[in-house]
Amino acid sequence: MTTDRGTVRSLDDPNIWVDTPATIFDAVPPYPPRTEREAEFYHLRDGEMLLNLGPQHPSTHGVLRIVLKVDGERVTDLDPVLGYLHRGVEKICENGDWHHAISNCDPLEYVASMFSEAMPVLSAEKLLDLQIPRRAEYIRVLCWELNRIASHGLFIGWLALDLGGLTPLLYGFIERDRIVEMLASLTGQRMLFNYLRIGGVNRDLNHDFLSRLGDWMSKAAVELENETRLLNENEIFVRRTKGMGVLDRDTALRLCVTGPNLRAAGVPYDVRRAHPYSVYPELDFDIPTRDTGDSYARYLLRVDEIRESIRIIDQVLHEMPDGPIMAKIPRMIRIPPGRAFISVESPRGQYSCYAMSDGSDQPFRLRIHDPSYFTLQAVGHLMPGNLIADSMAIMASLDPVMGGVDK
Amino acid sequence: MSVISRPWNRLSLAGKIILPLFLLLIALTVLLLAGWQLGLIPAVIELLAEVVRSNIDIFRFILTATLTLLITIPVAFVIIYMEMKVIAFLAGRIGPNRVGPWGTLSSVFHGFKVLAKEDFTPTGADAAVFTVAPIITYLSSVLTLLVIPFAPGLVGLDMNIGLLYFFAVSGLTVVGLLTAGWSSFNKYSLLGGLRAAAQIVSYELPLLLAPVGIIMLAGTLSLNQIVIQQSGWFWDWYVFQQPIAFIVFFIAAAAEGNRTPFDLTEADSEIVAGFATEYSGMRFGFFFFAEYVNVFILSALTVVLFFGGWNAPIDPRPILEFFRIGSLTPAIDVSSMGIWLLWVLAIGVPLLVLLIALPLWLLKSGWSFLKSLVVAFVLFNVMAIAAVTIWAFLSFEVVVGLFWFIVKTFTFVFIFVWMRGTLPRVRIDQLMGFAWKWLVEIALLNVFVTAGAILLVQELARQ
Repeated sequence: MTTDRGTVRSLDDPNIWVDTPATIFDAVPPYPPRTEREAEFYHLRDGEMLLNLGPQHPSTHGVLRIVLKVDGERVTDLDPVLGYLHRGVEKICENGDWHHAISNCDPLEYVASMFSEAMPVLSAEKLLDLQIPRRAEYIRVLCWELNRIASHGLFIGWLALDLGGLTPLLYGFIERDRIVEMLASLTGQRMLFNYLRIGGVNRDLNHDFLSRLGDWMSKAAVELENETRLLNENEIFVRRTKGMGVLDRDTALRLCVTGPNLRAAGVPYDVRRAHPYSVYPELDFDIPTRDTGDSYARYLLRVDEIRESIRIIDQVLHEMPDGPIMAKIPRMIRIPPGRAFISVESPRGQYSCYAMSDGSDQPFRLRIHDPSYFTLQAVGHLMPGNLIADSMAIMASLDPVMGGVDK
Repeated sequence: MSVISRPWNRLSLAGKIILPLFLLLIALTVLLLAGWQLGLIPAVIELLAEVVRSNIDIFRFILTATLTLLITIPVAFVIIYMEMKVIAFLAGRIGPNRVGPWGTLSSVFHGFKVLAKEDFTPTGADAAVFTVAPIITYLSSVLTLLVIPFAPGLVGLDMNIGLLYFFAVSGLTVVGLLTAGWSSFNKYSLLGGLRAAAQIVSYELPLLLAPVGIIMLAGTLSLNQIVIQQSGWFWDWYVFQQPIAFIVFFIAAAAEGNRTPFDLTEADSEIVAGFATEYSGMRFGFFFFAEYVNVFILSALTVVLFFGGWNAPIDPRPILEFFRIGSLTPAIDVSSMGIWLLWVLAIGVPLLVLLIALPLWLLKSGWSFLKSLVVAFVLFNVMAIAAVTIWAFLSFEVVVGLFWFIVKTFTFVFIFVWMRGTLPRVRIDQLMGFAWKWLVEIALLNVFVTAGAILLVQELARQ
């Protein structure tokens, strides 16, 4: 039973009337193919079916839409459709002054926004050639590492959820909630902190934050052990992740994949070591790597990174100097004209920014390089040939965040 | 007139409802006692009993069908609440705690919510099949309750092919799921329906082969007889003679009931909600209920086949004989009291309530007489329920049997819920491979070994 033809407006273009609702479900664009690739993709051979995944799907980690070409349960090809979360952040940043850019960049990486809000801050400081107080540097590193742990803890939960485990998600959220509440007592926000400032940080460490932090640090390692014990040697989990979605070293480098996904493929590239910034050169920590590059390696690598972050936090707390938290700069700053490139190591990889200033109080251009976008390219390499169930697990193990992809 | 109307107008709404009901209750009690003494009511009861006796089959059918359908609703509510609460505790949460004491009513309100939702049929769906599919699924789950022996004598229909009937009817579930997936006009539903078909048909095999050893040991297909053969101490249960069959059966049952780690048919992270994606309202509710009733039924069947059904784990008779106690049957035989029971209830209950109320009123100086009366009434009810339960437990085998059956069954329901809170989901090829490469072979091997052992024992006994 089908409905009358020509009764449904297309979702993509309201001026076009689509034949049947099936056209929407089939995810076939209502316009003629624009490229050869599109023509090839939307030409279905016998036994193949298009499956529209997202933008509203429980496991696409945001509003990513992927059109899967499936043969039974096996994915043969896919066509990602981006832009459902596009807000024009880069353009908005050009219209406000440098201070506004901080809060505008916050929601780019909404799982770990301490990193995306560092983009305009670090660019401006580099353009100003500003040395910020050492206490501010240490507080920044502390916040970054806490946020990294929160993000990775959530990753473990989401990976387990996409594999069908309900409980690890809650364990991940409990850990994240502790850290997020801790940061909220420091910054006033749970998610979009708006804490870093050009020349330092917004507020000094307070008693509430420090008592929560001490409480958490005293049992962080044990809690991590508890959280991962449910998964590490679980036969079903290992069988679902080991050897799945192998992203080899060359492909990863070719696709500009950075961060844990690259390190799981055996490349020890970490911006904190490769292009040191802030006080990272003074801290003692390892860059964990794995060789296999599969989902299981990516999972284990993130668990290792949580341990390293706990180590860094420990050192930071021991070496935290006294002093001011803001450099002496005027409230209204004019950034000298020039160009600057900065990058930080976010939980998803190298988060970079190429900033241009024309000497006014507004950024002329902020080009933000989000690692999730490049991680997402790997999805196209890893998904075909796998079952639908595994495709979800592979995407979860790559851990993209759509906020930065669509910007 | 004003003598009556003034106090009546002073009553609250609740009082205006309760007072006539109270008066009606008194009038009915008086009428009942009078009628009984005059011999009218026994005559009417005799007449009704005659009608029932001459049409026993019809009455039995109506009663069994009604009870079988009705029992599923509280059972499903209890299991849904249990699942919410247990998974919450596993995940370090509190779980439902808003509606009712400790959130116990929340699953009931889930039921009301499902009833109140819009019943929606998507464009392009095959409406007739779309409507029938949940009913097939629900009925094929519920109808299997007919042959499960809950307690001695408490079985819907003691068929001599009970086990066969069970598997035949529960096999119909796949028809409901497949048609639901097909008729929804949605690709996720279709994938879910096809997964359900593949999974349930594959796991039907080990599920059927595992109890074959028990059938050979028991020599019957009647579930009631299988339970009776396991009476005695707990080491007489078939799980100790057929441990491998139990493991195979339990894994297959988890897959048959679409429970984690085999819940691929409604894998929410892959195919949204599987066959139920397009369903809403009570049509979804039927699937939802069927799933939880299925959990109960599969646990019940596991208990019946492997854990002695309604048999208590210990046999009380040798212990009683050791202590030289003849029987635990209480001295008061209520059924022989006749009309005196009614008199006791009519006079004894108010007297007892007053007796409990008086010391409360005298000792607790702050309490009004009404308050102590209410408290005494509540206390009396608690004591009466306890007394009746103990009396029933001692007098009726059915109550003891039902108690042990429910305890054992809910242990397995808990294990199903526990598994859901702990394990991730397997993949479709791993699932199918596990059924065909391992479970079927193990079950077949178990059948051969059991048959050989039975022959050997018979041969030895003959010599």
